[in-house]
Amino acid sequence: MRPVLPVGAAVALNSFSESVRNRFFTIFAVFALAAIYASVLAGVMAVDQEGRVLADMGLVLMELTVLAYALFNASSVLLREAETKTIYLVFSRPVPRWAYLGGKLGGSLLTSVLMLAVMGLMHLLLLKLRGFGVPPGYAWALAGSFLKIAVITSFALFVSLFSTSSVSTLVISGVLWTAGHFAAETRFLASQAAGAKAAVLNAAVWLIPNFQLFNARDAAGAAAALPPAAFLSAAAWVLGTYLAALWLLSRKEF
Amino acid sequence: MTAPAVSFTGVEKTYKRPRLLGAEYHTAVKDLSFEIQAGEITGLLGLNGAGKTTIMKLITGLLFPTEGQVRVFGRSPSDAAAKARVGFLPELPYFPPQEKPAAALAYYGRLSGLSGPELSLAVESAMHKTGLDLYAGKRVFEFSKGMLQRLGLAQALLHKPDLLVLDEPVSGLDPLAIHDIRGLLAGLNSEGRAVFLSSHSISEVEKLCARVLIMVRGTLARTVTRAQWEAAAGGLEAIFVEAVR
Repeated sequence: MRPVLPVGAAVALNSFSESVRNRFFTIFAVFALAAIYASVLAGVMAVDQEGRVLADMGLVLMELTVLAYALFNASSVLLREAETKTIYLVFSRPVPRWAYLGGKLGGSLLTSVLMLAVMGLMHLLLLKLRGFGVPPGYAWALAGSFLKIAVITSFALFVSLFSTSSVSTLVISGVLWTAGHFAAETRFLASQAAGAKAAVLNAAVWLIPNFQLFNARDAAGAAAALPPAAFLSAAAWVLGTYLAALWLLSRKEF
Repeated sequence: MTAPAVSFTGVEKTYKRPRLLGAEYHTAVKDLSFEIQAGEITGLLGLNGAGKTTIMKLITGLLFPTEGQVRVFGRSPSDAAAKARVGFLPELPYFPPQEKPAAALAYYGRLSGLSGPELSLAVESAMHKTGLDLYAGKRVFEFSKGMLQRLGLAQALLHKPDLLVLDEPVSGLDPLAIHDIRGLLAGLNSEGRAVFLSSHSISEVEKLCARVLIMVRGTLARTVTRAQWEAAAGGLEAIFVEAVR
């Protein structure tokens, strides 16, 4: 019996190189460059808060760029492989579906890490050119962005297995992303509500990831490390959505 | 006694298409029973929609039967040990356009569990067998349809399968490419591999196969051996036309 872990790694590396070769990756990279440069202009206008504005805007733009690419990739990757019949060549081989799915997720996350690392370097370079050092908690902010991207990518892969198009996957994942940034507000509303409304809001608290947990840059002084709960929460969400996706994929025919 | 390469027993496959209200059902193959022996070249003929591709996908584990049993070398087609013995060429396979053939093949070799020198050797051998070694420096986007089909065949051969399942292997190819692929398949068969191929080209099937299954609207209408069509007036074509009318 041959080991299956290298099979998952082969899928991940193939998925990563396909992503990097994809022309959309280039478009997003150019957009990210322009957006980070635009944050310099906004920073100049902020006068005495220039360093803070530059750091915050850059981080937000980086996160949104990676989010856009990760969602685009996760929502279309399985559909594209089915349309091009590439998946026939994969699943007619002894490739376990868990390894394939794990590989696709791993490849997408590797791409996100690369994007964050390259954009982070560009951002720090711009900050240095404007005379600022590395903002406090910068690495934690990037780590938080990555955790968010990991959760939403895994969720988008899961949704792509039952949605009818990549657009509907993008919309559903976009709704989750937005709702996840209002988890505290949802929790507050649930505590104030009664009856069916409270039940719905309480269910939402459990069914929607709390993305605010990963926002290291929003923490006091913007220098706080991510709490262990953030890593545990991200791991639980990624694992949960991966297992749900695997359940769907194992029943799927091609 | 060794298990047949493929065995279908009372197989039915019904597709379910969800609709706004309820679902629509379409039976692609029904009450299908046949066997393919190891080392045999078997052809599958039928009009469009006769169920040829469904049969290929059932053998390769891409589809699951609604009823009945499919066995590949005595095992379920989803079993890793069965898949390891099957090479599949779908109709018009896709490969990343920027890749060179060796890189594309290496990926599929890794998926078949090959690595290191064993992988390099398998890629080299598959490229040599399919004549791709002459085009090793080209990228996939520079390939003609015939070369793409050779690449498709090469990926199916990487792990030295005992059974090759080929969906329309000569579809859209020029006469020279068809001639080359026919020679290649005959050579693979002489090494003891079973070949199961579907085609619209009766003359190709006639030249290559020892036995032909004729599908009509999802059912097996006839099984014809070489001796039978060679003895018949009008050959395989006449038998096929009579079966499908």
